[in-house]
Amino acid sequence: MGSVLKRFYVFTIILLTLTFLVGTASMVSAKEKELRISYPEDPKTADCQKNTAYYMLPLNCFDRLIECVTLESGASQLVPGLAEKWEVSPNGKTYTFHLRHGVYFHNGEELTADDVVYTFDRMLDPKTQALNTDILNFVDGAQDRLDGKTNSTKGLKVLDKYTVQITLSQPFAPFLAVMASPQASIYNRKFTEKAGDQFGLTPKTTCGTGPFILKEYVLNDHMTLVANDKYYRGRPQLDKVFVRVVTDPETMRMLFEAGEIDIFDCDYAFSQIPYFLESPKWKDRVVSGPRVGIYYMCINQKKEPFGDVRVRKALQMAIDRKTILDTLFYGRGTLAHGIMPKGLIGYNPNLEPIKYDPKKAKELLAEAGYPNGVDMTLVQVSTWGQTWAKMNELVQAMVKEAGFRVKISQVDESTFYAVRKTGDSDHYIQVWSADFNDPDNFFYTFFSKSGTVVRSFNNNDPEVFEALDHARTITDQKERIALYRKLEKKIAQDQAAWVPFFNIEHLYVLGPRVKKFVVPWNGWSDMSYYEMNVE
Amino acid sequence: MWKYILNRLLISIPILLCVTFLVFVLLNVVPGDPVALMMKEKVSADVVARVRAQMHLDDPWIIRYFRFLWGLLHGDLGTSYKLQRSVTDLILQAFPRTMVLAFSAALVSWIVGIPAGILSAIRQYSVTDYFFMGFSLAGVSMPVFWSALLFQYVFALKLGWLPVSGFYGWQYVIMPAVVLGWSSAGLIARLTRSSLLDVMRNDYIRTARSKGARELAVITGHALKNALLPVVTIMAIQVASLLSGAVITESVFGIPGVGRIAVDAIKSRDMPLLQGSVLFATILVIIGNLVADILYSFLDPRIRLER
Repeated sequence: MGSVLKRFYVFTIILLTLTFLVGTASMVSAKEKELRISYPEDPKTADCQKNTAYYMLPLNCFDRLIECVTLESGASQLVPGLAEKWEVSPNGKTYTFHLRHGVYFHNGEELTADDVVYTFDRMLDPKTQALNTDILNFVDGAQDRLDGKTNSTKGLKVLDKYTVQITLSQPFAPFLAVMASPQASIYNRKFTEKAGDQFGLTPKTTCGTGPFILKEYVLNDHMTLVANDKYYRGRPQLDKVFVRVVTDPETMRMLFEAGEIDIFDCDYAFSQIPYFLESPKWKDRVVSGPRVGIYYMCINQKKEPFGDVRVRKALQMAIDRKTILDTLFYGRGTLAHGIMPKGLIGYNPNLEPIKYDPKKAKELLAEAGYPNGVDMTLVQVSTWGQTWAKMNELVQAMVKEAGFRVKISQVDESTFYAVRKTGDSDHYIQVWSADFNDPDNFFYTFFSKSGTVVRSFNNNDPEVFEALDHARTITDQKERIALYRKLEKKIAQDQAAWVPFFNIEHLYVLGPRVKKFVVPWNGWSDMSYYEMNVE
Repeated sequence: MWKYILNRLLISIPILLCVTFLVFVLLNVVPGDPVALMMKEKVSADVVARVRAQMHLDDPWIIRYFRFLWGLLHGDLGTSYKLQRSVTDLILQAFPRTMVLAFSAALVSWIVGIPAGILSAIRQYSVTDYFFMGFSLAGVSMPVFWSALLFQYVFALKLGWLPVSGFYGWQYVIMPAVVLGWSSAGLIARLTRSSLLDVMRNDYIRTARSKGARELAVITGHALKNALLPVVTIMAIQVASLLSGAVITESVFGIPGVGRIAVDAIKSRDMPLLQGSVLFATILVIIGNLVADILYSFLDPRIRLER
C-alpha cells in the first residue's frame, strides 16, 4: 500500500508542476493595438432600438446625424455627425439634414437619405417592437405609425439622395440633442431589411457606419470589435477592442490587476476607490470626469403621510447627504439641491442649498401632525450591489433623529420595476444620467404627467405638467432655461417632490497600456473608443 | 432492459409536463414584468403597454401556456423575451461549455475523491485518513463562490499561474473544474471510504487475505468493485446535476453556460427561456437517474431491472 500512496503523491506533484507551467495565455498580439475592457452585463443586441441600457455597441459600430462630443471635463457640444449641416424652420417644426457624401456602411453601401428615413420609420413600425420610440414621439405621423394605422411615417421625407427632412407635429426644442443620443443611430436599409429580426444579434447581421465593426459576439462571454479602415473620420488608432462580459466586480478587479483588462470602471466597485487612489501603483492612473447625472430619493406621495409637503421637506432636511457622499463615494462629487446636475445645459449653481437640519425636520413633522414620527419603507433591490444597500442603511440611521422610522424592504429587480411603473412603489434611491444634454431629459422623465406615475413620484401638479409640455416647445434657449430654473425651484424645493442627493464623479483606472482615454461628456460607462489609444 | 428504459422514458413525459406547468404558474404568480425590466430606467407606460400587446403578454395565461406546449410539440421552445434569440439555440450554444465544465469537474472529483476514499479506508484513523477526510470536509463545507474567489486570488492574481476568468482555452477550465470538483470530491471520498470499510469487513475479504493475496489485489480485485456500487450511483447523479449548470461557478469564472442562462431568465422573468432551461435540466436529471440505474444493474448481477 505504501507504493500506492507513493504513486499517488508523485502523480499529484506532476499535476501541480504541469499546472505551474501553464501560465496565463496572452490575448494580445505584440503588433496589434488592442484595448481590452470589461462589461457587467451582455448588451444582448447591437440594435439600439431594442436596447435601453447598454449602448457600447451603438456608440462604436454606428453613427448618428449629430454627435455630442466632450470639449473638456463637464462641457460638451453638438457637432455634425453623418449630417454635415442642418436647418431648422422658423416655427421649429421642420428639420432639414444634409448628409455627408461618401460615407459607407460596413457592407460597402453608401449612406443616403433613404437610410435615415428607413431607420426612424423602422423604429416606429409596430413589427419592430422597439423600446426607444419616445425619441420620435414628436415626429408628425409617429403615433399613427406606432398604432399600425399607416405603412410609413408622414413626417419623414427624402428630399434627394443626401437630404432628409423631418417634420414634427409641434416644436420640440431638445430634438437636435435627441438626435445625438445613441438611440438615434442610423441603419442601412438594404442590410437591415435582409437581416430581419436577427439584426444586431450576430456579427453577420450587424452593420453600421461606425469606427468599429462587430467581428465576434459570443453571448454572455465576449465581443470583438475591429477597426473600420474606411471610417469617414479616419481610421481609429485602435486595431481592436475586446469586450469581456464579467458580472462579478471582484473578478473584474482581479482581471484588471492581473493585466487581462486595460480599464477598471470604478462604477462597478465603489469600495475599490480608496485602494486605487492610495496605491502607489495606481494613483497616477486614475482619471475622472463629472457624471451628468444625479442620485436622488424618490418620495412617493401616494404613501401617506408623504402627500403632505411638510413631511417631504422634513425628509429632505433629515438626510445628511454630505456624509453619504464622503462615506460611500469618498467625497468625489458635489451636493445637489435641485434637478439639473452639473454639466447639463441650464445647470443653476446658485440654487439655494437644502440644509441638513434634523432638529428643524423634527419640528416640521410635529407641525404636520406627526410629533411621534413617521413610518416609511425604503426599497432595496437585492442584486444592485453593496453601495445601494449601504446608502439605504445610512439613510435609515440618519433620519431616525428627525423621527422617521425606516424599514428596508428587499425585492428583486424585476419586481421593483414592475411595481414602480404602477405608481405604487415604496420610496427608493436611484440615479439618473443624461441621455442627451437638455433639461427635458431630467424634468420630463421624472415630473411630467406620465413620468411622475411611472416612476412612483405621483407629484400630480397640473401646472407643472403644463409648464413642462410648454418648455419643450420654446425655441428661445434663454427663455427655456429661465423656465426650467423656475420649475426646478418649485419642484425640488417648494414642493420637495424628491430628495436630490449629489452628482458624483465617474472614476476610471487606466492600465499601463492605455495611452489615451477620453471620458465621455456625460460620464457614462458606455463610451466611444474612437479616440482612444494603447501601446 | 429496453422495455425498462422505454417505460422510464414514457413515465418522464407527465413529469416534464408537470414541471412546465409549475414553472408557468410560478412565473405568473411572482410579480415582475419582462418588458418593464427590459426598459429599466427608460420606462414609459405607453411603450410598455404597446410592447406587451405586441408580445402577446396580456393574453390569458391558459392561451399562452398552450401556445408554448404547441410550440414544444413542434420542437420549438420559443424566443427569449430578453435575448431575442431562439431558446433552443441559446441552450444548445451554452450547453457545450457547461458540459466541458461538468465533465472536467466530475473527472477531478473522481480522480481525487475515489483514491482519497480508498486511502482513508485502508489507513483508517491514521494521519492519511484525517488529512483526506479534512480535505473532503473542507470541499463540502466551503461555499463555491468563496473558494472560487480564493483560487482566483492565489493562482491567478498572486502567482499568475492561471487566467482569472473566461473560457478561451483548456487552461481556463482548470480552476473552475478544481473548485467545482473539490466540492463533489468531498462527497465521493466520504462515500467511498464508508462503503469500502463496510465491504472490507466481509468474510470473503478475510478469505482472500488468508489465501495470501496481496493487499492491492484484495482491494482492487474484490473489495472495490462492490464498494463502488453506491458511489457510481452518486457519480451519475452528480454529472447530471453538474450538467444542469453550476451557476455560481459560471458567474465567478465568466463561463457562459446553461446555469447562467437559467438564472438570468428568472431575474428577467423570461418565460420561454426559463421554461427551456428547466425542461432541459429536468431531462438531464431524468437521464442521469436512468443511467445510474442501468450502471447499477451492470455492476451488480443480482440486480435485474425487469421482473
